[in-house]
Amino acid sequence: MSRLRAEHLYKVFGRRADEAVARLRAGADREELRGEGTVAAVIDASFEVAEGQVFVVMGLSGSGKSTLLRMLNGLLVPTSGRVLFDSEDLTALGPRELRGLRSHRISMVFQHFALFPHRSVLENAAYGLRVQGVPGEELEQRATEALRLAGLQGWEHAWPDELSGGMQQRVGLARALATDADLLLMDESFSALDPLIRRDMQDQLLQLQQSLHKTIVFITHDLNEAMRVGDRIAMMRDGRIVQIGTAEDILLRPATEYVASFTQDVDRSRVLTAGAIMREADGGAAPPDGSPPSAVVPAVTVETPLAQLFTPFSTSEHPLTVTDGSGTPVGVVDRERLLAALAEEPRVEPPPAEEDGNGVSADA
Amino acid sequence: MPEFHPGNWAESAVDWLQTHLSWLFDAINTVLTGLYDGINMILSSVEPLLLAGIFAVIAFWLRGLLAGVVAFGGFVLIDSFGLWDDAMSTLSLVLAAAVITIFFAVPIGILAARKKAVSAAVRPVLDVMQTMPAFVYLIPGVIFFSVGTTPGLLATIIFAMPPGVRMTELGIRQVDSELVEAADAFGTGPRQTLTRVQFPLALPTVMAGINQVIMLALSMVVIAGLAGAPGLGERIYAAVTQVQIGLGVEAGIAVVILAIYLDRMTGALSMRVSPLGRRAAARTAAMMGRMRFVRYRPSTVAALAGVLALALAAGGLSLAESGSSAPSAGGTDVGKGKQLKMGYIPWDEAIATSYLWKEALEQRGYRPQLKQLDPGPLYTSLAQGETDFQTDAWLPTTHQQYWDKYGSELEKLGSWYGPTSLELTVPSYVKGVRSLADLKGRGKEFDGKIIGIESSAGEMKILKDKVLKAYGLEGEYKVVSSGTSSMLAELKRSIQQKQPVVVTLWSPHWAYDKYELTKLKDPKGAFGKGEKLYNVARKGFAQDDPVVARWLKNFHLTEQQLTSLETAIQDASKGREQQAAAKWLNARPGFLDKMVPVPGGEKKRGKDAGKSVSMAYFPWDEAVATTYLWENILEDRGYKPKVEQLDPGPLFTAMAQGRIDFQTDAWLPTTHEQYWRKYRDRLTDVGSWYGPTSLELSVPSYVKGVDSLADLKGRGKEFDGKIIGIESSAGEMKILKDKVLKAYGLEGEYQVVSSSTSSMLSAVDRAVARKKPVLATTWTPHWVYSTYPMKKLKDPKGAWGKGDHIHVTARKGFKEDFPELYGWLKDFTMSEQDLGSLEAAVQKGGKGKGKEKKSARKWLDAHPGLEDELAPVE
Repeated sequence: MSRLRAEHLYKVFGRRADEAVARLRAGADREELRGEGTVAAVIDASFEVAEGQVFVVMGLSGSGKSTLLRMLNGLLVPTSGRVLFDSEDLTALGPRELRGLRSHRISMVFQHFALFPHRSVLENAAYGLRVQGVPGEELEQRATEALRLAGLQGWEHAWPDELSGGMQQRVGLARALATDADLLLMDESFSALDPLIRRDMQDQLLQLQQSLHKTIVFITHDLNEAMRVGDRIAMMRDGRIVQIGTAEDILLRPATEYVASFTQDVDRSRVLTAGAIMREADGGAAPPDGSPPSAVVPAVTVETPLAQLFTPFSTSEHPLTVTDGSGTPVGVVDRERLLAALAEEPRVEPPPAEEDGNGVSADA
Repeated sequence: MPEFHPGNWAESAVDWLQTHLSWLFDAINTVLTGLYDGINMILSSVEPLLLAGIFAVIAFWLRGLLAGVVAFGGFVLIDSFGLWDDAMSTLSLVLAAAVITIFFAVPIGILAARKKAVSAAVRPVLDVMQTMPAFVYLIPGVIFFSVGTTPGLLATIIFAMPPGVRMTELGIRQVDSELVEAADAFGTGPRQTLTRVQFPLALPTVMAGINQVIMLALSMVVIAGLAGAPGLGERIYAAVTQVQIGLGVEAGIAVVILAIYLDRMTGALSMRVSPLGRRAAARTAAMMGRMRFVRYRPSTVAALAGVLALALAAGGLSLAESGSSAPSAGGTDVGKGKQLKMGYIPWDEAIATSYLWKEALEQRGYRPQLKQLDPGPLYTSLAQGETDFQTDAWLPTTHQQYWDKYGSELEKLGSWYGPTSLELTVPSYVKGVRSLADLKGRGKEFDGKIIGIESSAGEMKILKDKVLKAYGLEGEYKVVSSGTSSMLAELKRSIQQKQPVVVTLWSPHWAYDKYELTKLKDPKGAFGKGEKLYNVARKGFAQDDPVVARWLKNFHLTEQQLTSLETAIQDASKGREQQAAAKWLNARPGFLDKMVPVPGGEKKRGKDAGKSVSMAYFPWDEAVATTYLWENILEDRGYKPKVEQLDPGPLFTAMAQGRIDFQTDAWLPTTHEQYWRKYRDRLTDVGSWYGPTSLELSVPSYVKGVDSLADLKGRGKEFDGKIIGIESSAGEMKILKDKVLKAYGLEGEYQVVSSSTSSMLSAVDRAVARKKPVLATTWTPHWVYSTYPMKKLKDPKGAWGKGDHIHVTARKGFKEDFPELYGWLKDFTMSEQDLGSLEAAVQKGGKGKGKEKKSARKWLDAHPGLEDELAPVE
């Protein structure tokens, strides 16, 4: 069931925005509009995010992903289209209701942390609660708890300028968690961090998500990060969502050349799983040479990344049995298939010819 | 190219504003001076050393021990210069201006940061405020607010506002937009975003702006000394224009001390106030380690306690002091502490005579205040009544422009010196140059230069327009405009180096006393005739202060007296002008008594001095006025007059019984006929002093077409059919009803409303104020005619009868008992004009507690010689 739904969102900056939207609908080009001084940042974006899902919007700078994000909590008002959060239309809310929504139910983590330098770590983490008007003792308690979750126990009385970048972003994360909002918007939150710290933070996020089950919209320009944290990924280019799907969809069935070109540098062995490349077992689950299946060849699950298949293949020529979560064999992977999957240039699959052409229904 | 002069519009706009928005200017004036006075009262009431202590504690709190010690030293230095009061005035001006500036600048800056339209609108205004030369509005400020605090403060506020607004706007705009977005993303409202995020983060920049505001305010407050703003600026301006280098430097140092103190304190305050500043301070403190004690600062509480303790001590001291000060009153205390505001232009004879007058007036119990101003502001403030008088009006030429503009608002109080002369002058060692004609062909010697004075001076115009042409010096000499002080400096320099120089000078001038100079003769008379120096007062000054006005009128100085006075003051200099004037006076015994004679000081006693005389009057205006006039005269003549008020009946009875010696207000033969007939055997008719009186109906002069009683017929509606009468017992009312109404056939149309004299007068007052028609029963003499525009209605039929004469009547035997007084009263007469002004003066002075007597005394003092006329003694 979807928690958050975006319906045909448009955001046009500049004069006569409405007119521009009409022209975009009629098929006008983004460049064409830019020549007239209007910038179409987001064009006809539609997607759904289910409860507890991490939805990643991936795109290069200027692709409109940050603009899209800011329409989700009303910081920017869409030129056209609707945002439904728990079936409530955000675009119909007044400024006061919108502020109430932002202080209680949607929180945000920023690219450059956006910590208040004139407040201590604890005060920063408690900021959203203070806006809510939570009384002193409860406020301190909840902020401390949020800091603990973010891994900053004991740093409550430090100042932001005394912390490293990673720790500062943990404060940002704690600030977002403290309000108990269901929807977490993360705007390139880890982009400004060193690669190692970034990885730590990604792990931390995934770990937290296991216990907290927030609904998260995550913006990034790094496909590896997108594949790592995202349950589903929306690829944006020039204001439009060009493909929405799981990491495997993107990698194995890119909708456009553009998406395909992106996936080149992705470490496929870590993204693709055995389930993605297995084939039907020939003649049941028995290995071709008749040797006992489970004794000789260790089984792998559908979820196992390809990177973990190298070791079994290095000692055995036999295909590996792939089982589902309960241990029932569902297919096999052999060496050729593994190598083909890793070597393969992804074939571009044109998106299914649905009326909105954005791939919404492709993964529905 | 067509000429375009927006300045002309500005001028007429200024005129318009002055007439139509005076209430606004009054309000601004009240707020600004109120704030300044309040701050100044606090600062100047504290002992200098204690206040320096308070300043030191503040510095200690904000910046540490060393700063505290240095601050204390700096302020003590100011005190040792003798500039403490001036410095406190300046500080008060700065603080008042800064408070108001910040009050407006910060909100405007915030608004500008949030709304682009506001920012765009404000920017050009700020540009104008910042770059428009302050003099441009400093001097017009004088027109609206007169000289003193307000125009100075206003100019300061205008000048100091821009950085306050700009830095606030900048500070808020500079706040990281991501932080603002973060606040927004957590649902913060716009106002809370401002108070929680933007303003705290902008505070260091805002404080830097406030620091700039204060520093600019300080520099402007000094310049505002030009427009008469009090404090160090006034001192500096005076010092510079009078070439008192020492005083100028000292006042300048005082300004620098104030500036450094204010700068460092506001800078440090921003560290204390803003969260970021506190954070930075904490970090540096943590890094200092062992050196921390140098930077030790008392906590806010401790500092506050220190300031409070010193303030309490100060309060105690000033209380103790105020108990012990009692003004000494002597026989020469004429002024009784009355304040007089004198202004002077920084010209030597003005300085000299102003300090002379200050000294003389102080010796007579006045409290004169001196203020140095430029001619423009001085004349403006005189015209506005803000300054009482000045001693140095050069008329008819030099100050002609001011006189043309403001002459109608001013009073000349006699010329005290003249004629002056304008001339070119060379040092005596320049041989062969004795006349203007000698200059021709010797231009090279003088470098082709004639050292001039201010280009605005009349002398410069005459020199360029007439003198150079008359002697054919135009091509050869160039007139260098500078200032009087620069001219004198140039003269001094040249004389020291024995170089030839030709300067623009005038007589009287102390330079002739100090240096050996040759006035160049002007055989062609090109410089024109000399002028006279006048005392000039605001309009109405002579009436308000007749004694001082008479002193000023009778004032005279010879050239020798003036130049010696000038030299004395010039040599003393450095804030000791008044002592020099006092010394100069002491060296001339008798001069002071001639200059400011104590009124009545040369009292001549009458022959019957010591005798008591009892006088009585009934409450008619002329009776009150003349009775108190005579009371004053008799006191001066050594009599012991007693005065009481009675109704006419009892009064005549008492006089017939011999209890009352005389009264001044018997209307004969008609009004008081009944009493006279009854007691005539026991009374003496001393003589008539005024007459004939007349009874009449009167209407305001704006009631057109009614000039005679006959004109009233048929216009009853206009007057509501009413004639406002007086007491029904009055003879006039009887005549009016019995004769006048009948004679003109007004009986049915008009009804005579009996009331009282005072209600009749208030009815007139009310009607005149609203320009309504009114018909009143009046008589002559009465001050109603000098106060309101009433016209007497003609009585062609003579229905009112003949007028009375006002007599002095006395008891039987009065002539024998008081032969001298009898003689005076017998010859006593007064003109209608004199009586009217005396009545009006008594009327205006108020009633009871001897006020009538005081008013009469004042009137008498304003009419010098009258007493000797009325009560001559040999």
